[in-house]
Amino acid sequence: MKPIFVRGISNQFRLTLAIILSVILLVANHRLEPARQSLASALSPVQYLASFPGALLDWSSESFATRNMLALQNKELLRQQLLMSERLQRFEHLRQENERLRALLGSPAYQDSRKMVAEVLEVASDPSHHYVVLNLGARSGVFVGQPVVDAQGVVGQVVQISEMTSRVLLLSDVSHGLPVRITRNDVRLIANGTGENDEIELRHVAKSIDIRVGDLLVTSGLGNRFPEGYPVARVMEVLTEDGQSYARVTAQPLAALDRIRYLLLIWPSPDSGVTLPNQILVPAADHLQEAPKGETPEPAAEPANPPTSEENR
Amino acid sequence: MSLQAANGRLIVWLTLFIGLLSQIMPLPAVVEAWRPDWLLMVVMYWSIALPHRYNILTAWVLGLALDILLGATLGVRSLAMSLVIYIAILHCQRLRNFPKWQQTLVVTLLICLYHLVVYWVEFVMDEAKFNTDLFLPAISGLVIWPWIFWILRRVRRHYKVR
Repeated sequence: MKPIFVRGISNQFRLTLAIILSVILLVANHRLEPARQSLASALSPVQYLASFPGALLDWSSESFATRNMLALQNKELLRQQLLMSERLQRFEHLRQENERLRALLGSPAYQDSRKMVAEVLEVASDPSHHYVVLNLGARSGVFVGQPVVDAQGVVGQVVQISEMTSRVLLLSDVSHGLPVRITRNDVRLIANGTGENDEIELRHVAKSIDIRVGDLLVTSGLGNRFPEGYPVARVMEVLTEDGQSYARVTAQPLAALDRIRYLLLIWPSPDSGVTLPNQILVPAADHLQEAPKGETPEPAAEPANPPTSEENR
Repeated sequence: MSLQAANGRLIVWLTLFIGLLSQIMPLPAVVEAWRPDWLLMVVMYWSIALPHRYNILTAWVLGLALDILLGATLGVRSLAMSLVIYIAILHCQRLRNFPKWQQTLVVTLLICLYHLVVYWVEFVMDEAKFNTDLFLPAISGLVIWPWIFWILRRVRRHYKVR
């Protein structure tokens, strides 16, 4: 039965309560990270469940593909593989040469970093926030601040983790900044997201800086978060207006941010200058010598906050 | 019937859960911006139909769950949702008796308000950019609300949720 008189507390009181609770949450938001992490862990089954229909669709399109389509795809993949392996051979040669040259110069050699493929569970449905949720979390050793790339270039970095999932802030988000350099002349810049999927901007570029349309931007490794040398974006437009003190430079991310499905999580190698959570303030050279004595260069499963850098304002 | 055991509580929460799932389901980028606010509309239906059982605090809890799942600042959607549901409950008698088109119009306006509040709070918290894409879900909501209303009313009558 519907009561004729509303019993209990009034709607005004409920609204006031809801508003007060919301405001408390909003104000205390930065202190609530641990609570959020455990709540997100508790709710991650919902995320898995929500990605199920999409996964089912993928699965059915794969299993009901015609023989022709598969043959075509196979052919294309074989062709690509041939091209790639040829490039890989050249790359291997270059790598060895580079190592020799670095050895001659006495600088530390690059080491291979550990990588893991992750699948996208959820894409932020909110135009002002660019996030994706991955199916790997703290249990797989993912840590806050971890670089994420795809086949073409840098995608973003991990900003929140739960036990089974992690959230990646895309480099197109307005709050994301990334130290980059131009491959042509090593000019250092910072690339900021604009909130558009296919556009990032370079701020505070002096008009006299040598930057041209078509320049390739790669990570500079200066923020101590991304390893050096991953491709980020290509410069699309350089506008110099008389009234402005800086040039307006926009670039297009190389990674296809609007259709990502599989991503690579990177555990930077300990001597690449990137600060891992469990080795903050350990100089690279010392760390190399100490490495065999129990302290593994692998990132710890539990996240520690990496030192703040410009990358995540 | 077991679904009627707790006066249909189970079936109501099932519809709310489905609403939550559809809200966070990954969609292709083309239709992403048009995703209707499933959860808000389902909560709105139940609070219009049964304001003494599903009210502002239900909306608050679901808004919080949505905030956590979307990784947004905690409290943004719970605030917006409780505000909108409060207005819906204030006018629940009128909304129930409105002709379909008028009801749909009011619901669309409420959805717009919800997005405005979300935008406004995010603007205060961390300078969000205003984008007219904000209102696309209201347009798709305009199309979908009559169907949600129809389906949920059938559910309510079938399981005799009161």
